[in-house]
Amino acid sequence: MSALAASVRDAGVSLKRLPRGEWGTPLLLATLIVVDVSIQPALLDVTQIGLLIQTALVAVLLATAQTLAVLTRGVDLSVGSVLVVTDVLTATKLGGLEGDRLALLPLVLAAGAAIGLLNGALIAYGGLEPFVATLATWAIFDGVALLVLPTDGGAPPQQLTNLAIGETAGIPNSYIGLALVLLAWLALRRSPLGVRALAIGSDAERAFLNGINVRRTKLIVYALGGFVAGIAGVYLAASTSTGVPTAGDGLLLPSLAAVVIGGTSLAGGRGGVGLSVMGVFVLVFIGDLVAALQLPSWVATVASAAMLLIVVSLRSLPQVLARKETA
Amino acid sequence: MTRLLPRRLPATAVAFVVFGLLFAFATIRSPDFASASHIRQLLVFASFVGFAALGQTLVILGGGLDLSVPWVMALGGIQLSIWTGDGMSSALGVVLLVLVGAGIGTISGLGVTALRIPPIVMTIGMGGLVLGYLMRVGLGSSTAASAPAAAERLVNDTLLGLPLIAYVWLAFALAAAWLLRRTGFGRALYATGANETVARLAGSRVAAVRVAAYAASGAASAFAGILLSGYVGQTYLNMGAPYLFSSIAAVAVGGASVLGGSGSYWGTVAGACTLTVLAALLPTFNLDAAWLNIVYGLVILLAVGVNRIAARGVAA
Amino acid sequence: MSGGARTTQAQPIVDRPSPFGAGDGDGLRVAGLDKSYGPVAVLAGVELHARPGEIHAVLGENGAGKSTLMKVLSGVIGADAGHVSLDGAPLALGSPDAARAHGIRTVFQELSLVPDLSVAESLLLERLPTRPPGLIGRRRLLRDAAALLERAGIAGVDPRRRVRELSLATRQQLELAKALRTPPRVLILDEATSALGPAESEWALAHARAQARAGAVVLMISHRIAEVRGHADRLTILRSGRSVATGQPGDFDDDGLIEAMLGRRVERLYPERRPAGAQVVLRARGLHVHGAFGPEDLELHAGEILGVGGLEGQGQRALMLALAGAVPWHGQLELDGRPLHHRSPRAAIAHGIVLVPEDRQAEGLLLSHSIRSNIALSSVARLRGRLGAIDRGREAEATAREARGVGLDAARLGEPARNLSGGNQQKVVLARALMTQPRVLLLYDCTRGIDVGSKADIMAALAELTARGVAVVHYSSDAAELVHLCHRVLVVRGGRIAGVLAGERLAEEELLHLAVGTRGGREEAAA
Repeated sequence: MSALAASVRDAGVSLKRLPRGEWGTPLLLATLIVVDVSIQPALLDVTQIGLLIQTALVAVLLATAQTLAVLTRGVDLSVGSVLVVTDVLTATKLGGLEGDRLALLPLVLAAGAAIGLLNGALIAYGGLEPFVATLATWAIFDGVALLVLPTDGGAPPQQLTNLAIGETAGIPNSYIGLALVLLAWLALRRSPLGVRALAIGSDAERAFLNGINVRRTKLIVYALGGFVAGIAGVYLAASTSTGVPTAGDGLLLPSLAAVVIGGTSLAGGRGGVGLSVMGVFVLVFIGDLVAALQLPSWVATVASAAMLLIVVSLRSLPQVLARKETA
Repeated sequence: MTRLLPRRLPATAVAFVVFGLLFAFATIRSPDFASASHIRQLLVFASFVGFAALGQTLVILGGGLDLSVPWVMALGGIQLSIWTGDGMSSALGVVLLVLVGAGIGTISGLGVTALRIPPIVMTIGMGGLVLGYLMRVGLGSSTAASAPAAAERLVNDTLLGLPLIAYVWLAFALAAAWLLRRTGFGRALYATGANETVARLAGSRVAAVRVAAYAASGAASAFAGILLSGYVGQTYLNMGAPYLFSSIAAVAVGGASVLGGSGSYWGTVAGACTLTVLAALLPTFNLDAAWLNIVYGLVILLAVGVNRIAARGVAA
Repeated sequence: MSGGARTTQAQPIVDRPSPFGAGDGDGLRVAGLDKSYGPVAVLAGVELHARPGEIHAVLGENGAGKSTLMKVLSGVIGADAGHVSLDGAPLALGSPDAARAHGIRTVFQELSLVPDLSVAESLLLERLPTRPPGLIGRRRLLRDAAALLERAGIAGVDPRRRVRELSLATRQQLELAKALRTPPRVLILDEATSALGPAESEWALAHARAQARAGAVVLMISHRIAEVRGHADRLTILRSGRSVATGQPGDFDDDGLIEAMLGRRVERLYPERRPAGAQVVLRARGLHVHGAFGPEDLELHAGEILGVGGLEGQGQRALMLALAGAVPWHGQLELDGRPLHHRSPRAAIAHGIVLVPEDRQAEGLLLSHSIRSNIALSSVARLRGRLGAIDRGREAEATAREARGVGLDAARLGEPARNLSGGNQQKVVLARALMTQPRVLLLYDCTRGIDVGSKADIMAALAELTARGVAVVHYSSDAAELVHLCHRVLVVRGGRIAGVLAGERLAEEELLHLAVGTRGGREEAAA
């Protein structure tokens, strides 16, 4: 090959490093923020933003759990039911009439992880498809939550509530919570476990060729997802000071929507929690805009669902069109 | 009748046997179980699941999944009561809503086939749109709305001791069996669910049957919602919620593969009856209604597990 | 087929002393290796002895078992029987990690780089460098990857880029660099130069030579005879899962190599070849599948069996799928003089072109469905009776007729298709295609891996078919079959037709020469 051809080719190679299509979501989020802030200038306040993050944190945690499953080329339909299990446990076992028993908190969190472990075992070792396994556990643990707490009620410990909605050194704790989530993701992404999980989602057979224990890694990833979804439930109970055993079902759509809007590939191997967090905030700002414009809440529901469908269609479109061209 | 019996006789027959055993067990536990009035009630409940699961069966056979069932059901009940409240004839309302349900399903099907959107995402999204519309329509989670009179008659009136709805269900079951076993559509649907690549290369109308399955699911869900509202006498936002799990569980218990390609609607019928009996058994064990969800989940796991073992055993 | 990363010209230095000594051990010994998939024996007693310090080539035509052997040695699949030992010590090859622990490094034909990871992550995936809190040190990762690339002599690849974005040639080079991460005792190169141009191939083989000199055993699978002659010290030829010859490249001339790879054939298997008609049934002009095949012209005559040959993966699949309407194609296609624009298999079948696909289990059959419904699948429309329902009687009759026509037992039609042997399964797919009453039948390697009896039945069916004027396009990996069955054979190489053989020139040696590029043809292998 001539030197000229080689240098032309190299130039072409470096141009391709611009991220393709990944500017869409940040742009969308930025637009929404700008519009929202211009309608509500009062939003630009540390406390106000802190409140916004606080309401978003549950969705952030669930989207994180969903992202983990999706990265391995799976899905977790049970994130909502893990949430309600730890939610009702927090409301009934940790707090309540006999006083606060915060020492049991690790057990509650372990419950979330255990459900995730069950999912992982069914999928990785039982050979079940992720949607079947997590559909079944969704049903089972929705029922379990109702058994623990049949109707709204319960009393989460005051310390947890203070932690959830309080401040540390003048900064609302919700900022810290969000930062912790992002840091934890960064740590995972940089860990061998994280790389292996991505490898499995990208190409499980090749991952196996590289000595990755596909089954064990999937098990751990789903357990982690359960753990994170469990945290979401504790947080929800703490920040709302009550237990709601039916809160889970309505949270599945947002968790999936956030992942899709954020840009993580549903086929696995590409994306991450950072993207999903952006997706969450897209939904949050849509909701905030709807409230600010004093539109009824159904507008937010429709907008979220529509956003999900539009974004997933747009992301599919290039591949579908490309298949019409090539073999 | 023998011509309409499914080729996959073992799995469907097993499903009926399981139902029979369960029913016998229930009768032993509480003799009233087999009383005429109780059987009538069970049939009515089972028919709701049966209709919700009719479309779900077609979608699953074709290799997909429909998670919008509960919302389209609610739409059927709620919208009909609104229209009849405004003076529309209920017959026209029913027809229109079945068509609307079919339309919603068609959109889902198109998203899944043309845009290659995963069925879970597509149908959850469509469900969300329907939910948003229902919220707009202004009915809260437990506001009562009057149910259409025709629906009430279908579930309450009887003929030869059985509720009318049972006959309607039977008619649909026969039609579904005919569709699946005796038409090109059915062949193409089974092929698509078993192996989409094989079906496509062999010339099956993969996209068309998939879209049609989702459309049927939407129509059937709307119809089921109308029936349900007739029975309950009111409509509310979450009326369809239990039917998400029960529709899928009925299909699984009926012996179909949740991945597609094998199964029958008769199996789903057996599955719906089984689940209904299970639900009715819970109070006799002093078990909370919350246990129903747990039962659905366990039943799905059990059915899928048994299916996998059976499939492995058949392989030569 | 170019576009690999630039490589440095310097001779690669193996800068670490091999921990396995100067390579004076016994080397790699394989004895009695068996591997079967169901009734099909892919390896049947393979014997191999490759000494340290030598580059040992493994040759054989498609399906001879080379890749399966490499997979066993790499710990990817397990053998049913046999022994593998290295320097006298038996090897336990239960997993890829176990193989690596023994010092076996493999450049996989299908590549082991995970597409969505970065180059650095993919190269170092087996053992990611970590720092105390258990995290991967990003700088160290990039540094180690850069060092690996530099030691391998690959320039111009940014370790941060995603593997998916790189060309196949570059990825193949990276695969070799990856294998050389630690000094190997055994280096296995499975078609390691298939996507590389001349300069990059030299680079790869220079590495192989350097490793051999450092005492490793180097196994090399390649179809490029010139490469084998230029670089291999010894070679072993596999045929039908057995080792049939071994020695030095100099012991064989080109014809001798080809002859050993092909062996003797059972010629009376093939029916007498009737002359083809003159009428052109299918005509293609500028037929082109983007990135895979063409543009090429071809003609198909009534009653003709047109063979398609060549090494695997040269574009035959794209050609067949395009004719079948299963992939997008460009150009002009005419059937009996009328232009065709079919964009789906369904449309193609409606016009009378039907495909018997490559993988009968994954693409051809619905394994859990009955044989009868499999046979009827493409012809359902024609079986309709009253009210649009399928007439069961007509279905039973028609499927039984087609089944008998290909030699299937009509009594078993109710059984699930997975119960049948490979040969019978292939017959089912063929019967389904024939039931559509095609004008053009496309066969994709339909006789691969099936027993002689089924082959004979299929040949007989084809003979009867062509006698009626149906035209057949027959892609086969079996050169003898192409020679004895087909009127003409197109040899495909690099996505183009390297040559068309007919009459006297239609011989196995000619076919294989054209396929590997050792003789003439329309063009040399492009850089």
